[in-house]
Amino acid sequence: MSRSADMALFAAPAVPARFRLRIDWPQVPVYGWLALIVLIPNLLLIGTSFLSVAGGRIKFEPTLANYVRLWNSAGFWRLLEQTFQFSLLGAFLGALVAYPMAYFVGRVVRNNRSILTVLVLVPLWISLLMRVFSWRLILGQNGVLNSSLVSSGVLDGPSSAFLYTGSSVVLTFAYISIPFIFVSTLNAFEKIPQSLIEASQDLDATSFQTFCHVIWPLTRRSLAIGFSLAFLVTVGDYVTPSMVGGINGTTLGVLISSQFGIASNWPFGAALSIALIAAVSIVVAVVLWSCPQRGVFSGDEAPSSAPPPAAGEGARLSYIGGAILYGAVVAFLYAPLLLMVVFSFNDSTLQAFPLHALTFKWYAELAGNSGLIAAGQRSLIVAVSVVIISSIVGTAFALVLHYRNLLYSRAVELLLTLPLAMPSVVLGIVMVLGTEIVGVPPGLARVVIGQASFIMPITMLMVLTRLRRLDPSLLEASLDLGASRLQSFLLIVLPLIRGAAIGGMLLGLTLSADEVMVTLFLAGPSQTLPIWVFNQMRFGFTPSVNAVFTLLGLFALSTVLIGQLIARRRAVET
Amino acid sequence: MQQSVGNHVLSLEGVSKTYPGNTKRALDRVSFDVAAGEFFSILGPSGSGKTTILRTIAGFERPDEGRVMMSGGDVTHLPPNKRDLRTVFQSYALFPHLTISENVQYPLRMAGMAKPERTRKAMQALELVAMESLAGRLPHLLSGGQRQRAALARAIVSRPQLLLLDEPLGALDLRLRQQMQHTLVSLQKELGIAFVYVTHDQGEALSMSNRVLVMREGRIAQLGRPQDLYFKPRSEFVAEFVGNSNMLPVEFTSSHGAYVGSIGGVTFPEIRGDRSGTARVAVRYDNVRIYPDKDGSATSRLSGIVEDVLFLGTNIEVGVRCGELRIMGSVPASRADSLVAGQAVTIGLDLAEANVFHV
Repeated sequence: MSRSADMALFAAPAVPARFRLRIDWPQVPVYGWLALIVLIPNLLLIGTSFLSVAGGRIKFEPTLANYVRLWNSAGFWRLLEQTFQFSLLGAFLGALVAYPMAYFVGRVVRNNRSILTVLVLVPLWISLLMRVFSWRLILGQNGVLNSSLVSSGVLDGPSSAFLYTGSSVVLTFAYISIPFIFVSTLNAFEKIPQSLIEASQDLDATSFQTFCHVIWPLTRRSLAIGFSLAFLVTVGDYVTPSMVGGINGTTLGVLISSQFGIASNWPFGAALSIALIAAVSIVVAVVLWSCPQRGVFSGDEAPSSAPPPAAGEGARLSYIGGAILYGAVVAFLYAPLLLMVVFSFNDSTLQAFPLHALTFKWYAELAGNSGLIAAGQRSLIVAVSVVIISSIVGTAFALVLHYRNLLYSRAVELLLTLPLAMPSVVLGIVMVLGTEIVGVPPGLARVVIGQASFIMPITMLMVLTRLRRLDPSLLEASLDLGASRLQSFLLIVLPLIRGAAIGGMLLGLTLSADEVMVTLFLAGPSQTLPIWVFNQMRFGFTPSVNAVFTLLGLFALSTVLIGQLIARRRAVET
Repeated sequence: MQQSVGNHVLSLEGVSKTYPGNTKRALDRVSFDVAAGEFFSILGPSGSGKTTILRTIAGFERPDEGRVMMSGGDVTHLPPNKRDLRTVFQSYALFPHLTISENVQYPLRMAGMAKPERTRKAMQALELVAMESLAGRLPHLLSGGQRQRAALARAIVSRPQLLLLDEPLGALDLRLRQQMQHTLVSLQKELGIAFVYVTHDQGEALSMSNRVLVMREGRIAQLGRPQDLYFKPRSEFVAEFVGNSNMLPVEFTSSHGAYVGSIGGVTFPEIRGDRSGTARVAVRYDNVRIYPDKDGSATSRLSGIVEDVLFLGTNIEVGVRCGELRIMGSVPASRADSLVAGQAVTIGLDLAEANVFHV
């Protein structure tokens, strides 16, 4: 009752029945965005997949030829199988370490939980390109692994067996998957009220039985979501396979991106994308179906507090085991990044130990590089525009979704966030089609639109989550105390959602500054910083790339830190 | 209750409301008046429509039919911020980002009052509820009882004609609740503001109110003074809800032109019926007399076995099984030691004030 009443407050005044079709203006931009950014581009993708190419031009005649070609192509099926093998295996390995690690942080550790959490999440904010590239440093022919194996005498000469294999792709995917799975399962572990665990023990369950019958059923859905998230991120990734996989590590994403590049067969690329989405949907559906959620916490359970000091030998052992696992995984997450930072100060063009002298020349080189500076400026323009658009639109949409009675508001919300759930390679293509049709040329405007398509939903979701947690009585109280709707919004609602909106802005800033996969399709000649770096690496490696990445990483890190500080200050305030 | 119209701060006239998607009416033709300075309670189980009445008065819900009048004027279509009333919310709804003083100043600020003036007024209001020392705190640093007081100060600071309270004591523990009851009553007397107080706790309603409105499934079950409800309930529902009453089946048989009632096969001449057949009689717990089994001389006694004894402080509640019937009685606590479960007893009923409800 209070929820519907809450919505009614900012809702349009009651309208007599015969005027029911009157337009509620605040809803119009929501439907406009939905149509222009989500629906039309995706319909274009579907439409394009039924066209064909003749003589380098698209023929506007409906045909099933692309799908027939796919169906009959053994190569396609093999590639699909390989793509899924990489992503699923990567997510599976990630889950194998992230799930127990989340249990350790969420239920075993008592102090410094937030630091332990942030430590695992920081790599999410570090450029994907940087993370992948750092693995090249380790696995490459001149890489750290080879050079240390050669110098220690294990190998006679550098081996090419590490880089450009399927397993190097799986390893990198697992590396990417860990933070996603960790964060979604951690939340589930933290939410379990301690009283449930105690009740289970009280009813004579062993710890193993408690895990099987209480903890696992209450966390498996989150594990499935984290697994699906990691799977979605890696399955649409065409940069990682091309950088560490080479020919042996090719995936469907690489093939799709080439249809919009060298091969220049958009209809076939569109059909491949549809096939990929269909296959991905089936996998995600099976994963979620196999981990059902039963019941919800009613809130009557005692609030989850820090677990009491564990007693007994078994508890001590599990603590030590968890600490070792956590330490090992964090080392695994950070070692490649640190390596890159170290090499950025190393006076040698070889990426190998032992280190030579300390130097700043790679950084000095950057300062004189006009291409880099131009790219950096473009990145800045894009990031600022995307963040401004996303935070204003996202906040406004969240308010409309929360306070206005939208028809099918749940469906509208899901559709608006669809770009977040799409494999990046497909989103890139969809945005190419969507901007092409309305005549936005490749360049910064296209990049801004493309990035806003998935950064706006993030801001919107963050503000929406906050709005849903607010006591609906607050707004009623403000009106009751004589404030107008505008005053209530400015004095009560806005200050209370400000933290969430700022958090969304910071997150959007780092995402925009690091984005490669969607931007690569849209930028054309106007390369943003990560694209510029990506292209540099394709044409051969210079150690100044290490320096760029170190600076980018510092930027992301400081943004996260600022966000954390603001969040902490607000937590103290309210 | 025949008062002149000018004396009413609030009148509801035939208010009906159905929530979208529901077929049942949340409110069904509800009409009542609240006099200036009156402590008026709305009592009912959850889902009876009492909160909907409150939200309709405050302006958070629009009635489908009927009018809401304040001081004679029609406010049915006025938004909440244009009505001369304040609400104390169940969740207190203190703005988390404003200090207690800023919270209390909020309505004055909305009215455009200058800062020094409103700071002074806020302090005065906080003094009324003994909260002046906590004026600079943020709400999350206060205890539940302190938040309650702050919410109250915020609601009365601009001296509205009418204060709406939505189960304001629901979240407090027993001792605080009793303290706050006293605070509320004395504050109400001091300020002369009419209170409309929603609660499901009959003890609260009876002890504080001038009049009580009992709601059942969207309709008015009874409206009257606490003693009217207690001694002359008009329906079984009110009898059961307001006083702690046993609802016992009575069989009336015609005898010498009068109707004589019997309960559990035992005749009780005091019960008056006006027709023969089955009816139910409401017997409050404190009108049940419990005697030791030995004392078998008197007539009109039911015999039974004590099933359970609840110690409640000044008195004890005894559950007695008499064949098909289970009768609850309340006796002075001094007898606690003489009554134990399994003991055989006889029961007398004081039926002089008992209300009979024909089926």
